[in-house]
Formats: sequence, structure tokens, C-alpha cells
Amino acid sequence: MNLLAQQLVNGLFIGSVYGLFAVGYTLVFGVLDILNLAHAAVFTLGGLVALWLVQTAGMSIWLAFPLATLFAGLLGLLLNQVAFAPLRKRADSQFSGLISSIAMAIIFEAVAMGLFGARSVRFPQGTVSVHIWHIAGVTITSLQVGIVLVAALLMVVLTLFIQRTRIGKAIRAVAESERAAMLLGVNVNGIIASTFLISSALGGAAGILYGLYFDALAPDMGRSIELKGLAVIILGGMGSIPGAILGGLAFGLSEVLTVAITGTSNLRDAVAFTVLFAILLIRPSGLLGRGKMREA
Amino acid sequence: MLEQLAQFYAVYGSVINFIGINALLALSLNVTLAAGMLSLGNAAFAGLGGYAAGILTIYFKLPYVVSLCGGALVAGIVGLVLGLPVLRLRGVFLAMATLAFGEVVRIAAVNLDITGGAEGLTGIPNVTKTWIIYLTLAGTAYFMAVLRSSKLGWALVSMREDETAAACLGIHVTYYKVVAFTIGAMIAGLAGGMYAHLNYLITPRDFGFFIAVDLLIYNIVGGTRIWYGPILGAALITALPEILRGVGVTAGPIRMGVNGLILLLVILFLPNGLASIFARVRPAAAKAETA
Amino acid sequence: MKRFNRLLFAAVVSVGFISTAVNPAFSAEAIKIGFVFSMTGGAAAYGATQKEGAELAVEQINAAAGGVKIAPIFEDDASVPQQGTNVYNKLINGDKVAVIIGPTLSNTAKITNPIAQQIGVTVLGVSNTAGGITEIGDYIFRNSLTEAVVIPNTIKVAKEKLGLKKVVLFYGNDDAFTKSGADVFRKVLQAEGIQILSEQTFAKGDRDFSPQLTQIKSQNPDAVVCSALVEEASGIVNQARQLGIPKTVRIIGGNGFNSPALIKNAGDASEGVVVGAAWNISSTSPLNVKFVDDYTKKYNRPPDQFAAQAFAGVHIAYQAAKAADNRKAIRDAMVKIKGLDTLLGQFSFTEGRDADHTPVVQEVKGGKFVVFGN
Repeated sequence: MNLLAQQLVNGLFIGSVYGLFAVGYTLVFGVLDILNLAHAAVFTLGGLVALWLVQTAGMSIWLAFPLATLFAGLLGLLLNQVAFAPLRKRADSQFSGLISSIAMAIIFEAVAMGLFGARSVRFPQGTVSVHIWHIAGVTITSLQVGIVLVAALLMVVLTLFIQRTRIGKAIRAVAESERAAMLLGVNVNGIIASTFLISSALGGAAGILYGLYFDALAPDMGRSIELKGLAVIILGGMGSIPGAILGGLAFGLSEVLTVAITGTSNLRDAVAFTVLFAILLIRPSGLLGRGKMREA
Repeated sequence: MLEQLAQFYAVYGSVINFIGINALLALSLNVTLAAGMLSLGNAAFAGLGGYAAGILTIYFKLPYVVSLCGGALVAGIVGLVLGLPVLRLRGVFLAMATLAFGEVVRIAAVNLDITGGAEGLTGIPNVTKTWIIYLTLAGTAYFMAVLRSSKLGWALVSMREDETAAACLGIHVTYYKVVAFTIGAMIAGLAGGMYAHLNYLITPRDFGFFIAVDLLIYNIVGGTRIWYGPILGAALITALPEILRGVGVTAGPIRMGVNGLILLLVILFLPNGLASIFARVRPAAAKAETA
Repeated sequence: MKRFNRLLFAAVVSVGFISTAVNPAFSAEAIKIGFVFSMTGGAAAYGATQKEGAELAVEQINAAAGGVKIAPIFEDDASVPQQGTNVYNKLINGDKVAVIIGPTLSNTAKITNPIAQQIGVTVLGVSNTAGGITEIGDYIFRNSLTEAVVIPNTIKVAKEKLGLKKVVLFYGNDDAFTKSGADVFRKVLQAEGIQILSEQTFAKGDRDFSPQLTQIKSQNPDAVVCSALVEEASGIVNQARQLGIPKTVRIIGGNGFNSPALIKNAGDASEGVVVGAAWNISSTSPLNVKFVDDYTKKYNRPPDQFAAQAFAGVHIAYQAAKAADNRKAIRDAMVKIKGLDTLLGQFSFTEGRDADHTPVVQEVKGGKFVVFGN
């Protein structure tokens, strides 16, 4: 029983991490129908820049966190300007945007490697004080609780932001139809830019939390989560913010439960991707997605 | 002169071989891209073909050509079986479904005994020759060019432009999609078989997610609308590290960055890929093909 | 069109560069050594320190008064076998190097080394530990002690000192190095009569190991036997302790664990980890002390085993190549190397051209690698 409880906690936690990564990812897709494959690189740079601020500039993490998040947001603006805006008018912008975002991801990763080296680096010990609780044989750390809470909070705040605020409404209008939004007087380019800003800032924040928890930041750390992030946004329903978090939890739990039930871990990733495959076939719109645009 | 050619081949022979194989893989993806379908499963098809051909050679002692055909056939059959359910998905969702399939294939190769696990399938004889690769490439390119002007080709193009309209005109959309997907899978499987017989071994990592993305890069960089576009793209991207090495861009992060930068520049400033350079030189010919 | 012209120009120039490099490699002043390391891509963390170790060795040899110098050519295989093949052809046929040191990954070595063997260029692997490398042919050497040598020794010592009866085997199953390491562990554990309660696996690049470790914890093993590289090993050690696997349950690793990064990244959690390896950073042999000092001074960070083996590799290759005037002679000189004083200890090659020196078993104590059981 303890075993299963601990595994559920593990799944809840890693699922929240996937969700955090996926929220920003899905936001851009929801608005532009474009996959931003540089999201993982922004995630990485967010974490590394926060590390630099703490280690080299000697800041407290509480100051470094917002600064690095802002930096990641600015990277998003850069991405939009360089890799997406020039292609927007093109007929094949879906594919070419994919490639230009890959090019940016390669450049970002090269910069990260040039500045920080290829080795894993970590935040200095004691950057945040971590408490470890053992409750009825289940181990939980304060960082884990923090990350789950941040994921939940983000889900609520972002959903409210999109539904209630002026900018949020404009974002939704652009997502529905750029033309219609423009006719209604929405500054489409501004809205797209701010979507990238928010999306990338979220990605950067996720990178910092990831780096803090796992004590290992490296230029290629985005790669292993990129594929899972893709799976998560499909699972949750592309463009859906609560869906990204729920998709993350579902993916995390499926991984953990595979290990718990089979007792071995060989099939962990295979099961997760098979589930993804099955969901695409049975319910292509994902758990919480809008159905219309995905099927022939 | 002959001596210099031999020297050139000694240094760049492997690059030339890889260009040929990557060009074949790029063409395999182009079959479906031409119909507006993005598959990220072609790397996995190449893997299936490579493993199948390798196993046929090693365990069944079949001759090279038979093994290659066997590999292509296995990839084609899996493509057919996979294509039937997934091809009703569109755009990114098709890409994701094929991607998930690719991951499952890769994980299977890691876990199975017959594929040699993470260490890969070893002991495959190195018998693929440059001329075999390029003969196959020429044949495939010719086939693709013919295909473009066939009934299937026009059906695929009309499906890319407007699938609903194509269906209304009586084009059997699903049928053509599955045919294109299966042809792509077979070409990929063939390329995978040749790759396996070039390198002494194949490993699960040779056909992962990032390879699948590479195939897309070849197509977009080269241009998807002309049959030689993917070949140009594969040639440039495969040779790029060697070119940068040659002009003295230091190994490591800098070369990686320059690599990314060139990719970005091509995408931004050559909307129809490298092929558009040639199209400008021969405007009439290109117009006829893209019309 | 202009842009394309420029590209074409670059291509032509690059070809020109290399074609003009057709000159005999064996001038009296400098030995051309080609280094093939993974400086970018998945194995960049390991290739980077290899390059540093090799650079330090070349620098010191070239700074020494008199004698033959080394002309190093560093190439990046981007952790991809395809590029490794291209680099080999370029180094062998273009640059006409005397010796190749590398490549970083065993998988790449299996594909590239037959090229060197066919032409007859000596290759010295400085990090390949998988099986089937030196079997490629009589020009293929390595100075990296394989898992097949290190692990039996480690398990034997650990069993003696810790009285192991039942353990869990935890390894990366999608990587040639960690997988073949696990195969050796399994065989040795069975031979020593130690029960394997279960086997757990992870994938390269994983950061979260808690599901597997939770499973492991519930089985109450005497130790966790682990085949991993340091990037993953640090996370495993860290999370194992966090999940409450007590420190009395030792974590036992092989060559892949032997890096100061383990102690740096896992912090206190790394205390008590048992690491069997080819090299001990705190070995007091004068050559090793000097190497660790020089390296730390130059790069502001202590060396790892990758750097140490690359450093030693340069000295071994130099020893063989400095008196030879053709590729065959280098190979013959390599075979004859006996009891060469290196930072790895007295170094010789076995009949099968593998490394022959004594492995060490260490544990982390007070934030340092010390010989286990002392």
C-alpha cells in the first residue's frame, strides 16, 4: 500500500513537471496552430540563466527566478520576430515554422553550450531550503509540493487570464480567426508577440523549477522532455491549458503505474506512447480539446 | 586528375554515401508531404527496413539484394497496416501519431534480443557500394518524377490543395493516402537496409525522433514541390558539417551554432527551398513542374 | 543565386584545403594525431573533458625542450556515428594522421574503427569500454580498462567488505555502455552467488528516477548495483537518499561513476557510494598528482576519468609514434609498450590490445574518492 501511495505521489509530481513544460507549449499552438520546437531550448536557457544569476551574480533565487523568467519571455519575443513572423504569410508556414524553430533551438543550444559548457551543472547547495517529510512511509519534499502547487496555480491563473482579461479575450479571438480579430480592431501582431512572451516565460520558469528539483542543468536537458511535452499536449488536447496540466498528470501517472504494476521499467516509455497513439485514434481531440480541426 | 578524384573519394566517400541514403530517405517522406501529410514515422520505417534486412542477411544468410527487398517489404507492410487507421488524422495529429509509432519501434528495438538491444545488431557485412546507392536514388527519383504526372500524383496534389474538393471530384482520398504512405514506407525501408549494410551495425539511435525531424528538414530546405528538392536539401544538410570543417569553423558549439544559423537563413530567404535557385535559372521548366 | 554561389565557393574551398593537405605525416618535427571526440550532442559532457585532458598533454609535451612535437587535429563527431565515419575518412585520407585517439562512444567506435583497420592506422580508444572493440583488428588499441575487468573486482571487494547477499540491478538500457556494463554485472553477481531481486532500467537523459527507486526501496536490497554514466548517476544517488533508501544500502557503480561531478552534483548523498574504476583521482603517484594539479589549475575544476584516460592516451600514443616513421611501425611500437609509467599506473597492453593495469575500488568519503575499505 505504501508502495502504491508513494508511486502515486511520484506520478503526481513528475506529471506536474510535464504539465508545467507543456502549458507554454500548448498556448502557442492554440493561438497559431504552430508547434514551437524551440520551446525546449527556452526551457533550458531559463534554467541556466537563473543558475548564472545565482552563482555568478550572487543573487538570491527569489530575485533570480523572476529575472530569468523575464529573460525567457524576451527570448520568446526574439523567437517570434526572427523565426515565426517573417514566415506568417507563407502558405507552408506550418512546416517552415517548424523548421525555423528547430534552427533557433539549435542556435540556443549552441549558445548554452558555449556559455555554460556541456557538463551538467547545479544550483549551489542550499539555494532553496528543502524539507523532507515522511508521512506513513511516503516521502514528500517541500520542493515537490511547491512544484505541484505552482502547476495548479498556473493552470487556474492562466485559464482566468485567457477567459476574463482583455488581452486574454484578444488571444482567444486571434486563435479563432486572425482575420476576424483584425477586423474587430485587435492588434494581431501585438497579441501574437505577447502570446510568445507569456509562453516562453512559462517555459523558462518550468526550466528553473526543473533545474532546482533535479539538481542538474545541461544544454541538452530540454531534449528528453521535448518529446514527452509533445505527447502531453496531444493527450490533453492541443491548445487547452487545463488539458496540458491534466495531460501531464495522465502521462506521468501512466509512466509510474507501468513501473508499479509490472515491477520493471523496460516498458515505461513504450506504454506511455502506446497510450498516446491509442488516444489519437479513439479520441483525436485529446482529453479536453476542441474537436473540429483535427480530423478529416 | 584521376588521382585527385580518387583522393577526393577517399576523403569524402562516406559523406557521398550518406548524402545518397539521406536523399532517399528525404524522397520517402516527400511522397506523403506532396499530399500534405506530415509523417514522422519514416525514420522508424527505415529502422524496420534496416533491422529486417540485417536479420535476413545475418540469420538467414540471404543475398544482399534479397535482404534489401525483404527490408523494404517489411517496412511497406507495416506502413500499410499503420496507414489504414492513422491516415484519417491530419496535420500535426498525423505527425504525432506517427511519432508515437516511431518511439514504440525504437523502444522495441532497445528491448528485443533479436535486434541486439542498445548495442545494436552487429556483424552486418559492409557491402553497400556508392554506385548501388546512387543507382537506387536515380531509380527512385525517376519513379517520383513519373509519379508526379501520373493519376496518383495529380490526386495527391489535389488532396494537398483541398481535400474536401478532391473527395467531391470522386478522388478516393483514403485509398490514395494509404498508397502514398506505403510507397514512402517502402522507400524508407530500402534506404534503411542499405544503411545497415554500410555501417557494420545499426542501433536504435540511428532512427530516433531527431532523425525523423532531419528528414523533414531535408525536404523543407530543399523544397518539397520539385522532385529534386529533397535531394538538394539532403545533400546540403549532410555535407554542411564537412563544409564547415573544411573552411575551419572550430569544432564544438560554434560549428553547431553556424549550422543552425545556415538552416535559419535558408528557411527565411529561400521560401521554396534550394530548388528555387534552380527554378530561377530555368524558370520555364520549373513553372511547368510547380503549376 | 548569390548565396548559393557563396556556398558553392565554400564547398570548393573546403575541398581545396583538404586536397592540399596530402603530404607525408611523418615529418621529423611533428606527429599528426587525430582526436575524435563528441564535443556536441548527447555525449558532449564526456567529450569535453576528454578534449581538455588531451589538450593538456599535448601542450606539456610540446612545451618540453627538444624531442618530437605533436600536431593535434581535434574533430567533433557530434555523438553521431555517421559524422564519426566522415571524420575518420578525413583524418586518415585527408590529413594523413599517424594515429587516431578516440572516438568517445563505443557505438561509434564499432562503426568507425573498421575504416582505420582496413587502411592500417593505429587507433587508441581512451573511453571505449564495451565488448567487441579491439576485436575489430590488430590496429585497434585502448587504454580504457573495460567493465569486464573493473566490475568483477568491484563486486568481489564489495561482497567481502559488505557481505552482500541480495541486490537490485539498475541500469540504462538504451545505451551501449550502460547496457553492456549491466550484462557484466549480472554475470558476476550470479557467479558470486549474490541474488538479484529485480532489474530496473532507465533511459539516457532521464532526470526522474523515483518510480524505479521506490520499487527498489520496497524490496529491501543489501545494495543497489548500478550501471550508469555520471550525468544520470548523480540523479540516481540523490533521489535514492531523498526517497529514504538508507545509507547502509550502498550504491555500487563502475567506470561511469568515476567523476568529481558525482560528488559535486549529488552532494552529501554521494557519501558512501562505491565506485569501481580504472583510475583513482587521489592516487599519490607523482605523475597523477602533477596531472590533477595542472588540470585543476588550467580548467578550475578537478579532472574526471575521461580526462585522465585521454591524457594518458596521448602519452602512450606519443611513446609509440615518436620513433616510428610509418603507420605500420607505430602499430608495432604500440604492441611493444610494456610497463610505461603513466598516471594510470604501470601501463601495458594485453595480447588482445586492451588495457592492462590494476583497477581500483573506491568509496566517496568526506567529499573525496578514497580507496574502499581503508
